[in-house]
Amino acid sequence: MRLSPAVVLPALAVVLAALVLYPFVGTGYGVRAMLQIFMWIALAGSWNLISGLTGYVSFGHVAFFGAGAYTGAILVASAGWSWPVAALAGGIAAALLALFIGYPCLRLKGPYFAIAMLGLNEVLRALVSYFEGLTGGGNGLSLPTLDATRAIYYVMGVLAVAVTAMTYAIITSRFGLRLMTIREDEIAAEAMGIDTFHHKLAAFLLSAVGPGIAGALTARDQGYIEPLSVFPLAITVTMIVMVLFGGKGTVWGPVLGAAALFVIQEIVWARYPYVHPLLFGAIIVAVVLLMPRGVLGLLQLKYRLPRTI
Amino acid sequence: MTLKGTIALTLVAALAGGSLPAAAQGPIRIGASLSLTGTYAKLGKNQHEGYQLCIKELNAKGGLLGRKLDLVMYDDQSLPPTAVRLYEKLITEDKVDAVMGPYSSPVSEAAANVTEKYKKVMVAPLAATTSIFKKGRKYMFMVISPAEGYLEGLVDMAAKRGLKTVAVVNEDTLFSKAAASGAVELAKKKGLQVVFTEAYPKGNTDFSALLTKLRAANPDVVAAATYFDDAVALTRQMKELNVNPKMYGVTVGGDLPEFYDTLKQNAEYIYGATQWEHTLPYPGNQEFFDTYKKEFAHEPSYHSAAGYAGCLIYAEGVRRAGSLDADKVREALLKLELKTALSPSSGRARRRSPCGPTTSPRARRASRRRPGTHDRTRRGPRRPPPMPPPDQTAGLRRQSRRSKIPAMSETTEP
Repeated sequence: MRLSPAVVLPALAVVLAALVLYPFVGTGYGVRAMLQIFMWIALAGSWNLISGLTGYVSFGHVAFFGAGAYTGAILVASAGWSWPVAALAGGIAAALLALFIGYPCLRLKGPYFAIAMLGLNEVLRALVSYFEGLTGGGNGLSLPTLDATRAIYYVMGVLAVAVTAMTYAIITSRFGLRLMTIREDEIAAEAMGIDTFHHKLAAFLLSAVGPGIAGALTARDQGYIEPLSVFPLAITVTMIVMVLFGGKGTVWGPVLGAAALFVIQEIVWARYPYVHPLLFGAIIVAVVLLMPRGVLGLLQLKYRLPRTI
Repeated sequence: MTLKGTIALTLVAALAGGSLPAAAQGPIRIGASLSLTGTYAKLGKNQHEGYQLCIKELNAKGGLLGRKLDLVMYDDQSLPPTAVRLYEKLITEDKVDAVMGPYSSPVSEAAANVTEKYKKVMVAPLAATTSIFKKGRKYMFMVISPAEGYLEGLVDMAAKRGLKTVAVVNEDTLFSKAAASGAVELAKKKGLQVVFTEAYPKGNTDFSALLTKLRAANPDVVAAATYFDDAVALTRQMKELNVNPKMYGVTVGGDLPEFYDTLKQNAEYIYGATQWEHTLPYPGNQEFFDTYKKEFAHEPSYHSAAGYAGCLIYAEGVRRAGSLDADKVREALLKLELKTALSPSSGRARRRSPCGPTTSPRARRASRRRPGTHDRTRRGPRRPPPMPPPDQTAGLRRQSRRSKIPAMSETTEP
């Protein structure tokens, strides 16, 4: 099967136009739900950059989300910055954190990296709880009320598009090929002359910026953050599940996974308040057992779709 | 739904929205998100049942403004961000006519941003942290008395018994921190020495490190600002690690019958804070207790009573305002004085109205309960910013009792 650009590009344009117009027709909840989907696309897409492409499973990616959220929230609340600038600062803070952490940790291999990242998240949460003067600690940080949901919707949308476009650019580039070589066999990659460490570090930095910005935007949108709401393991797990569902190492996998799982979750949530964790868990198990490569991975195999979807 | 059905419904809606009297309108839909799963599940469930019972009773009496009432419920998983989304959904998507508060201070704090944005009156029956109501929020009403007082009874009694040192531990969230700081402050004022303080994260299950340190500090009194799950875990692990202070009290959790059911004899001699007891002589209280027990096959906790009363308070506000309009309801609520099963309550900020925590050993077996020994502190729903009633400290007494030592109850009788 061939996906010709003549079909794909107009379809994409229509979808994008619909999303741009949506806030003018949708309800407050609808806009917020879409905003959440954008956020998950950005998060899942970012996780896919490091873990889907290089095979380095990050179990603490929410650390960048939380770091961005607190950076953004503190800059807005204490320094009075406007939120778009604060969001950018959140992204930069997350990238700096990634540099600081990635430098030692990316030399670790296999499960050790995953565990180190898990630890990073816990450490950050403890730090945020400890420095009460700055972060409010367990009391959380409350931002002045501001109705900017629509503006944040657009910024988050642009972020989701940017992360997806970046994934496409990387996967189709030599840089992406080298990353995938690392995933398949790091020693072989090394032997072929790839500077594996710096490649991993670059991918790691790129994968931290998205969650950082998304965190700062979410903090501004919700107006109240506490350590547990921005550093929960559940966010990392959801990112991972979304990517696995859609297909890891693909461009559209995280988008598909984020949208599909979020919608399923919202439907189950509304209808069955007491059993939704069970149903959601069952879906996860089914996906992992029945299509370990995710939906797109399955389609790629079956219909010989290009690697770049 | 068939096309025909849709058209018919649209017609009905159009008519109802037009000139027909109120009775012809659909039910008043009241939306809420509660912690049905997650860390606060037990407590949120009781609050949910309080809402359900209130709405059922209001409907039996013919509803409100001539319309039936309908509860639209979601589960926020005890997570503030989810509550934000759900309240937005309730207000903009389900277009509910009114909202009621969620469970817990952190969740209410987050949800308030949404309800204030859409100018919806929210009676928040289980948000006990005063700071939530202080941020210039106009449409939010507080029902139970402040978090800072939850451990007052315990500390007060410890001081009276001549105990010297106290350890304060708390969950690191909005409510528990306030309760803990209230305890620390009062302990210092009463001349007790605070020898150990530590906060643990929400959802913590392993208290062994904390308890080892606590044991080293060897306090006479352990005051724990907890919710339910952590109260159970902490108590159990104290037993396992042989931490035996002379007095030990928890905030939320100890008052639930499940606390005793889960811990059995380990729940003996533990103080718990409550905002309500079924033996209190408030109008309708006994009926509330009986109906509730029959309806849900277990005893209500103060969360049930606060949910029930919060819903009644809101309904009364609407009835007096004669409208669902947020500003009118707000005005009516500010003037309202109402006696509910929870307690008489008042919207007047500076006036004391009986509605506050008592400390009661709900952990005890029902048969051991000694009715009539409760002291009620007085406070009501109030509008922001809440000013402490001038005569508050004089009248405040949150009483603690030990189950097996009746003498102690006597000594602390007012």
